[in-house]
Amino acid sequence: MKLKMGVDIGGLTLKNPVMTASGTFGYGEEYSDYLDLNRLGAIIVKGLSLEPRDGNQPPRIIETASGMLNAVGLQNVGVRAFIDDKLPWLRGIDSAIIANIFGETIEDYVKVAEILNDAEGVAALEVNISCPNVKRGGITFGSDPALAGEVTRAVKDVSHLPVIVKLTPNVTDITQIARVVEAAGADVLSLINTITGMSVDIEKRVPHLENVTGGLSGPAIKPVALRMVWEVVNAVSIPVIGVGGIMNARDALEFLIVGAKAVQVGTANFLNPGVTADIIDDMEKYMSEKGIGDINDLIGTLKI
Amino acid sequence: MVLKASASFRESLPGQFVMVRMTDSNAPFLSRPFSIYSVRSRGGDTFVEILYKVVGKGTDIFSRLREGDAMNVLGPLGRGFDVPSTCKKIVLIAGGVGVAPLSFLAERCEKEISGAEIICYMGAGSSKALAGLDRIEGICSVVKISTDDGSRGHPGLVTEFFGHDMELYADNDSRIYSCGPTQMLRSLHKLLKDRPVACQVSLEERMACGIGACLGCVVKTKSDGLVRVCKEGPVFDINSVDFS
Repeated sequence: MKLKMGVDIGGLTLKNPVMTASGTFGYGEEYSDYLDLNRLGAIIVKGLSLEPRDGNQPPRIIETASGMLNAVGLQNVGVRAFIDDKLPWLRGIDSAIIANIFGETIEDYVKVAEILNDAEGVAALEVNISCPNVKRGGITFGSDPALAGEVTRAVKDVSHLPVIVKLTPNVTDITQIARVVEAAGADVLSLINTITGMSVDIEKRVPHLENVTGGLSGPAIKPVALRMVWEVVNAVSIPVIGVGGIMNARDALEFLIVGAKAVQVGTANFLNPGVTADIIDDMEKYMSEKGIGDINDLIGTLKI
Repeated sequence: MVLKASASFRESLPGQFVMVRMTDSNAPFLSRPFSIYSVRSRGGDTFVEILYKVVGKGTDIFSRLREGDAMNVLGPLGRGFDVPSTCKKIVLIAGGVGVAPLSFLAERCEKEISGAEIICYMGAGSSKALAGLDRIEGICSVVKISTDDGSRGHPGLVTEFFGHDMELYADNDSRIYSCGPTQMLRSLHKLLKDRPVACQVSLEERMACGIGACLGCVVKTKSDGLVRVCKEGPVFDINSVDFS
């Protein structure tokens, strides 16, 4: 049986619903020795800012129970260097290339979005309004409904590309933010970003991370992510991309069943750089076994 | 620990590392980086050896493994040591299990750089912690031992011991290679500062991916800011690292 794996999300057509999460896949090239990147539904590159950023001082990561905390601090080459040095190579890859963008002011977001309008080979923008790692950064946008709506509208007003807005879980009611962002014009939502956490070295009585707090990722957050995706799917009518602790096809399928149109694989790439290809293979195997010919027939089929 | 690995590991260079993880287990969650201690071929199979000390959860779990258990091994990764073929004196300064990549380096140099003298300064907390001593004694012309508690060799730090002899290696044909705790490398950096001695060090840092994507393992350098230990290193020229 020939399986139909393609999904359409907010004007973007993907050959399958498996994407790589921003910040866990570099600029794609880092992984080219470990899998055929052409197999991926989409590659979401490391978050881009207007100017290059050095990020936080080390230590930046610490392992936790079934997960990890990171406080990389959005280190990146900047949007112009991305276009000049990274994008030409990525144009040779037959997967959707999605640029994740962030800023410290709405003007920054707007400028980055404008610069990417002219960049050939970028299929969509993912707007990070949720990164909890930078002291003056994204957290204020993503946790405040008015600001979240404002930044979404500002990017939508200037961008020619489909706009995905990535939501933070560090809020009281994620459906409230999701509705505001939808109303502000977002084409797609992706969730969740990392959950803010902390870890302490009891010998030295210091935080394990130089930044004190960091973003928790990995299987530890998957149940929380799944619950939030399910809630948001029921609260909005635009497509939702499920992210958070996906380690294998079983995890990815859970997100699709609750209604996510696609998934992003993040931390799992660190443990096994070829994991996304395995996930696609195992997803196809599941569909064959269940007699599901089109992945879209599986999405949102949760029975309660 | 000896790991059966793919034939591609035969290309491993001294100073390169592997990322090791239990197959199908989330404890420990992240892969652990280890310098390659040796690579051997036997009966068409390739075996990668690592040397480790139990310091935390990951190494504790590794220490309970039994023969035949499955691990995922990614590598060889990173940049190895550079040794000019004209080198006459190769000086190794090892702290604890930091001897692993230096032992691999010594083995290679003994085979590939004819006429070079290989000298090792080896330090550890106590005589019991002098892992890998027999092997490196079999390769080097001289192994000078020091222990913090004085239970074997020179009592005190390996860098002090080396410091006494430093003038012997001030010529252009000498190269120094070191691996050990950061404090030891910092002392070595202080000793060699302002001297025209070529020295490379292998650094250790927590890593998530080992392939340059997670940006978790950065180290501060003097001229290039924060760079990745996994990709730009783990071997660095000692003078490029900001140990302040």
